[in-house]
Amino acid sequence: MSTKVVIKQSTYFDSVSLMSLSTKANQIEGVEQAVIAMGTEMNKEVLKNVGLLTPELEAAKSSDLMIVVKAATEELAESAYVQIEELFTKKKGGSKGASEIKYPTIDSAAASIPEANLAIISVNGAFAAREARKALENDLHVMLFSDNVSIEDEIALKQYAHEKGLLMMGPDCGTAIINGVALCFGNAVRKGSIGIVGASGTGSQEVSVRIHDFGGGITQLIGTGGRDLSEQVGGIMMIDGIKALEADAATKVIVLISKPPAASVQEKVLAQVKNCTKPVVVYFIGGDEEAVVAAGGHFAKTTKEAALKAVVLAGANEDEINKRALNWPLIEEVRAKLAPEQKYVRGLFCGGTLCDEAMYLAMETFADVYSNIQKNPDYKLKNIHESKAHTYLDMGDDDFTNGKPHPMIDPSLRIARFLQEAKDPSVGVILMDFILGFGSHEDPVGVMLPAIVEAKAQAAKAGRHLEILGYVMGTDLDTPNFDEQVKKLMDAGVTIASSSTNAGLLAREFVVKGA
Amino acid sequence: MRIQALSGDADFCKKLASSSFHGFVHSVFERTINLKCLDDNELYTIACNKLDNGPNTLVIDLPSLSGMEVAEGDPVYGKGDELIVGSGVFICMRQATKWEAHLPSYPCDIDVLRENVAFMKQYVDAKGKTGGMKMSSRPASLFERETSRMLNERAEALSIELAKGNSESASEQAVRLVGLGPGLTPSGDDFLVGLCIVYKMQNIPCCLSCRFFEKVVESSRELTNEISSITLKKAASGKVRESLVDLLRCLTQGSREELLPALEKVVGIGSSSGTDMALGLICGLERNLEAGGNVCLPKL
Amino acid sequence: MNMSKINELFAGNIHAINVGIEFFKDDIIKQNANATHLEWKPPGGGKPELIRALDRLENAALADKIAAANKLAVERIINSQPMLVGFDQAINVVPGMTKTTILHAGPPITWDKMCGAMKGAVTGAIVFEGLAKDIEEAEQVAASGAITFSPCHEHNCVGSMAGVTSASMFMHVVKNKTYGNVAYTNMSEQMAKILRMGANDESVITRLNWMRDVLGPMLRDAMKIAGEIDLRLMLAQALHMGDECHNRNNAGTSLLIQALTPHILQTDFTTEQKREVFEFVASSDYFSGPTWMALCKCALDAAHGIENSTIVTTMARNGVEFGIRVSGMAGNTWFTGPAQKVIGPMFAGYKPEDSGLDIGDSAITETYGIGGFAMAAAPAIVALVGGTVEEAIGFSTTMKEITTAENPNVTIPLLDFQGVATGIDIRQVIQTGILPVINTAIAHKDAGIGMIGAGITYPPMEAFEKALLALTESIS
Repeated sequence: MSTKVVIKQSTYFDSVSLMSLSTKANQIEGVEQAVIAMGTEMNKEVLKNVGLLTPELEAAKSSDLMIVVKAATEELAESAYVQIEELFTKKKGGSKGASEIKYPTIDSAAASIPEANLAIISVNGAFAAREARKALENDLHVMLFSDNVSIEDEIALKQYAHEKGLLMMGPDCGTAIINGVALCFGNAVRKGSIGIVGASGTGSQEVSVRIHDFGGGITQLIGTGGRDLSEQVGGIMMIDGIKALEADAATKVIVLISKPPAASVQEKVLAQVKNCTKPVVVYFIGGDEEAVVAAGGHFAKTTKEAALKAVVLAGANEDEINKRALNWPLIEEVRAKLAPEQKYVRGLFCGGTLCDEAMYLAMETFADVYSNIQKNPDYKLKNIHESKAHTYLDMGDDDFTNGKPHPMIDPSLRIARFLQEAKDPSVGVILMDFILGFGSHEDPVGVMLPAIVEAKAQAAKAGRHLEILGYVMGTDLDTPNFDEQVKKLMDAGVTIASSSTNAGLLAREFVVKGA
Repeated sequence: MRIQALSGDADFCKKLASSSFHGFVHSVFERTINLKCLDDNELYTIACNKLDNGPNTLVIDLPSLSGMEVAEGDPVYGKGDELIVGSGVFICMRQATKWEAHLPSYPCDIDVLRENVAFMKQYVDAKGKTGGMKMSSRPASLFERETSRMLNERAEALSIELAKGNSESASEQAVRLVGLGPGLTPSGDDFLVGLCIVYKMQNIPCCLSCRFFEKVVESSRELTNEISSITLKKAASGKVRESLVDLLRCLTQGSREELLPALEKVVGIGSSSGTDMALGLICGLERNLEAGGNVCLPKL
Repeated sequence: MNMSKINELFAGNIHAINVGIEFFKDDIIKQNANATHLEWKPPGGGKPELIRALDRLENAALADKIAAANKLAVERIINSQPMLVGFDQAINVVPGMTKTTILHAGPPITWDKMCGAMKGAVTGAIVFEGLAKDIEEAEQVAASGAITFSPCHEHNCVGSMAGVTSASMFMHVVKNKTYGNVAYTNMSEQMAKILRMGANDESVITRLNWMRDVLGPMLRDAMKIAGEIDLRLMLAQALHMGDECHNRNNAGTSLLIQALTPHILQTDFTTEQKREVFEFVASSDYFSGPTWMALCKCALDAAHGIENSTIVTTMARNGVEFGIRVSGMAGNTWFTGPAQKVIGPMFAGYKPEDSGLDIGDSAITETYGIGGFAMAAAPAIVALVGGTVEEAIGFSTTMKEITTAENPNVTIPLLDFQGVATGIDIRQVIQTGILPVINTAIAHKDAGIGMIGAGITYPPMEAFEKALLALTESIS
């Protein structure tokens, strides 16, 4: 009979592993007895009682792991110990290699990963529809980030997804939050009881951020893609999204966000709202309050109002929410600093909906509001490289990107445009958004800062005050750090708006003359 | 890697909020990571979201910790709402709900308790895990058989002293259980954890002197490993993991329907640990049922 | 409509498959959810006509037809049981063989277009057959039109490297026990300086004569005694012993000669002659290389000509062009593209620029699922083809992305005894952009020199593209 003793100093394994190791060790052929236990005094006493205690084991401390193998011969004990060692290493090894398998197609990945439930597709638009179809065929929900997918393909995909009961978010869907996981572009927001269905990416992001700021939280944020509410597509995804959120027990309030839908589609969506058993807040930019109210929906004129209504409907006490009211003394102060000829606002946006919202707010006060995304052809910029009167630019629009990365990722185009606007003596306010969160630039403020400093200095030299208004879209949970980004802007003399809505209002009010 | 903490022991949260936490990683498991704090020399635990709350424990939003790149000895630093482990793991406390162990009071109506304890005994007999306090009908080794035999003998001796109401000699018997048995937390320790919290309930008919608990805690420093010792220390001041508190609450005031899942949860802890703790609870409660009878102290 | 799937998603844990921008995957992982990033390439290299073709073939009704045809084709490959039943001279057994026919590797090619190695082999064979007195004269004969050139593949044959096969050469005769068809291939000349590599000097012709007069007849007689040898069973054993049976044949050759030896001993040849044969076999591990090629050819011919099938039944190169045949295009419809360079270590004294382009019918092994496809079975070979063991395993698993089945009869121990990837589907090749990997020898670009290295190569995508477009037209 031979006994092999090993003491592993300060070695901890959880009880389940120790027990299963011990069981397996006792099953090794030739093993008379195997003990794997912590080296406590009492356990040593047990060893003594069964005649296994050796001087070596006597010295073991309570944090040591004792391994004792008793076998017929020395060789058997040795080989059993080698096997026990293997059991230990297997336990510790983990399975890193498995995760590194590379799959070339959705088919093969879906076949090998049965737990896969969602495909995120961001390949060139020419190939995107095919990949989305493959994903749906494999019962995967789809977030289709790619744009330049034909409307026929979009309709076919959405109808197919609808039949299969799958999400078909997009094409051109940049934002979604599913089960607290932000997909593509999104902010880190609290989990809560408000579900969002949004046809406009940054609009949905803004509402989710405001909800977080007001103390509320999100269950799901379903993106539909910008064309979902067009006549042709007919709101397939938004209607399915409303139904899904209605069926979702965690969701108490639903928020819909879109640019103004086609009339027939608005009718369909509002019919769904009417049937919905949960309160629905509707923010259709520049939308029709009467129709929404008639459908029993809660109308919101701005992103901020949408978020506030949702949070209150979800049960928050309105009086306890810091609504971040407009700072009128500040407005007066800025008005006083601007010269009479500094009449215009220039908005340079990364976020399409942020641009839209600010533009609609400006149009309430001014007639001469130009943009690359104006619906009214009279006010749509003919030459997007030259601003006119009040100009609000969506620099993420195809007109500007044209194959280049989105300004959220590559800010160079916006920097150049900013410097151009800053030189214009008729400009009173330049408004810019800075988008934080998943998918965005790692320091959107930092890259803009040198240009801001330069512009401020040049304006001062020319004897002008140039008002730069910034809005940082993000939450306290986002990366990069929200407070640091805001502080950098403030240190450079930038005025900070607390929301997209306030940004639009402040910019407008700053240049109102003679009020 | 940035991870949200879901919930945390109120004292741990308070400690982080009010002062800075300095220490190192003591040990790493698949579902927990233990941290040694240099200020108070105590162990603190980061647990995956499959585990319950517990004393000195922070539950984080990860199903398993095996992917975390943390090694024993890594520095740990925490302040305000962030705990930084090693070089790359940031645990954000902002959304963590605070948790505190509140033991139930010993009930006035002991019929429910008596019935529930009887049921629990049957359940443990039927479903409890062997290898520790509960002897297997076919022990894997002589060592295992001897361990269970010694555990039972000593638990029995402790039980007799408790029945006599003799704190001093009970403590002597309790110490003989510390560090005895298989597993990371030796079975004897687990048994004592269960036993301790029974005697830490308010209105408990038979009181044990402070000395009993002090002695158990003191001896555990030498007689068992650090991880088990801190668990005993906390239990001796009435602080145990949430599932155990729930079980005790169900035992004292719950219906069978509530009791069963609570019991399953505890018996599922570790390998035999849950069973050993449950047996400790049973031992303590039985002694009190016998001694206290229908007496309800506040009504006397 | 059924909403439960969406609500299931809301209730479950996210595991996303990410196609396109990689940092989306990183962001998801940062949020402690799971994501798998695809190694995606635009299908068909992004060519619209190919994507249209793929889309068309994915139409539900067509896809079902194709799937059924492919299932049949692959079943026939897998179920084929090729048996070695004899050795005989080409003129006696090969269909369409004449005294003035010379078969060659790869798709059809005319004398004037042949590469150096093939020209060297052709002229050598003409001299060997006595159709010319020397190489110089042989060149004139070859150019004169007196010789019929034809691809081996069109005569139920395969030929390694130049594949040059003439009337009096001895051939393996391999019969498909399951489906009855027969395949042929000539015999290994063992050394580096050999006819099939384009060498044609006196020593080469002398060896061919000896093979015709001693080796061939002896093996013929031995097989008459042996009856038949189950090659598939032997192949499976060889893979378990560390061969991939294209570039490494150490185990297979031992197994084959072990099976033949008792019967060779019973033949009426002299002990000295038998000793010569055994020494010849022992001189190179390649002895069984052609045998496996004949096995593969035999199995794949049984799967050729199944209507609507998109399974590849032939991959072959003539040193200028790489040609494939697809089951759904019956007969001898070749789809070709330029032959590629073979990348790998060279013998001492040679440089990459000395190497000829990919040549030979030996890619039939990959078409069947061994060779490059079974690299994981042969870690010992990785140095020869200039890779790592990890890469070798990677080749074998990657090939599953372009094949429709695994062959349960031929398995790889290192991959948990998974069957070799079998049944290359041209749709999957176009879809994934993954080309079949081929292990092969490198011949010198000039005639008369021979083998100068070994390595890895791939077919030209063009051949698969042409095949896909043609099939899309023919399948309806």
